[in-house]
Amino acid sequence: MAQGGNNRSRLLLVILLVTSLFLITLDLRGISLTSTSRSATQSFLAPVQRSVSNFFSPVNNFFSDIKNFGKTKAQLKDAQAANAKLKAQVIINQDIQGQLTQLRDVLDLAGRGKLSVVSGRVIGRGSTSTFSQTITIDVGSRSGVTKDMSVIANGGLVGAVKSVTSNSAVVLLMSDPTFRVGVRLAKTQSAGVLLGQGDGSYVLQLLDPSGTIKVGQVLVTLGSDNNRPFVPGIPVGRVVAVDKSTASLTQQATVVGLTNLNNVGVVSVITKAAVKNPKDSLIPTPKPTVTVFVTAPPVTSPSGVPTPGQTPSPSPSPSATRSVQ
Amino acid sequence: MSPSRIFSSSGLLIVAFLIQESLVTRINFPISGFSFYIAVLIGLISFEDRSGAVVIGFIGGIILDLSPTIDAPFGQWAFVMTLIGFLFATNRESIGNFSSRPMALIALVAAGAMFSMVIFLMISALLGENDGAFSQIVIKVLGNGFWTIIFAPLIIPFLSLFHNASLTSRERR
Repeated sequence: MAQGGNNRSRLLLVILLVTSLFLITLDLRGISLTSTSRSATQSFLAPVQRSVSNFFSPVNNFFSDIKNFGKTKAQLKDAQAANAKLKAQVIINQDIQGQLTQLRDVLDLAGRGKLSVVSGRVIGRGSTSTFSQTITIDVGSRSGVTKDMSVIANGGLVGAVKSVTSNSAVVLLMSDPTFRVGVRLAKTQSAGVLLGQGDGSYVLQLLDPSGTIKVGQVLVTLGSDNNRPFVPGIPVGRVVAVDKSTASLTQQATVVGLTNLNNVGVVSVITKAAVKNPKDSLIPTPKPTVTVFVTAPPVTSPSGVPTPGQTPSPSPSPSATRSVQ
Repeated sequence: MSPSRIFSSSGLLIVAFLIQESLVTRINFPISGFSFYIAVLIGLISFEDRSGAVVIGFIGGIILDLSPTIDAPFGQWAFVMTLIGFLFATNRESIGNFSSRPMALIALVAAGAMFSMVIFLMISALLGENDGAFSQIVIKVLGNGFWTIIFAPLIIPFLSLFHNASLTSRERR
């Protein structure tokens, strides 16, 4: 009897394995059944993800909060005092505030490049079991998003739209190991290919053997045919190290992205590129910081002689200097 | 395995899939990430006999294949989980009853979760897919194993209750 059960389970195993292989073969041969089923799942998941995202956004930082448990008593007291001050600000949802900041910055970037964009919130991320680095956003074909459109955030390029449903889209992040984008070193014409590495760093392979790469140089997208999937001129990353080895034919460099893909909450999908190539105009420029120098007027002693080292008078004549860092 | 248990187990797996895709993926786990769904699936398989484990593995794999963020061919997870179901059930029979050794079950569920990912990666490599740098993959697999060990004690008692409740009177005998 047990032998019969074993035979039955083995037969079942073979049947199911063959079915799986059949499905894999169908998928690899490009039968649309599988992609349809995945986009149907995405259509079903998007509203659920959106609702959960609204309710459980504080859960995101659960583990980073746990890390801070080892506080001293004094720090705890300070934190409690600070907490009391911050109670007034509790009404303002910090999550929304952060998203608004990101949205403002990304719209600013799109505005400078004269790009038509559709902005959306990140409502999901690729799970551990999928091995691909993706995000799901809450805008889809209804908002004009289609496959192979560039996606940007406040810092620059985020990735490209991989699949779309009516109300959501899956974006392949530029950190994914399969991600490749043609780039150009800003202010030069040296072109290369940027490869995702699965983490926050990227590898730049320069196509021009005579070109030179310098640390600190910014990369922008080279652009694709009909601007799909990449529109030109989008900032991508900054060179942090140049590979000096002579083994490879082309020069290589390590690059860090200008956008922190782990914290991205709001992104914009470029639906229409600018008529004119923005070239290097979208490269982030350092923000000017204002430094105020207060120059105390000389205080006169009773004898009428200016005395050095005196406390400035309460009405100094400030001279403001605007310095650019 | 009765059809009603197949339906109820599939329902549970769909709920676990929704939790995974909408909630667990949003948590930034310190070491890599945690696949709640794989932990539930392997846990569910651990209570089944050979045929049940194979069927649940296949259904669970198909549900995982439906994930829109997945880049692998449809059916790859179904293949892996069917195989894992069979291997798991076969080895479980040789180890014996887990009711008196819960830690062994937890360790086996974590090992099953890691092993399933390794098989998935091996098949991906055979199919010529790029799943990232080796170091990243190792961290991902070990990280998932770590979190499965942490969370399995919370999941397995619930799965045990669910399994007992879903048994038909004939299966109880």
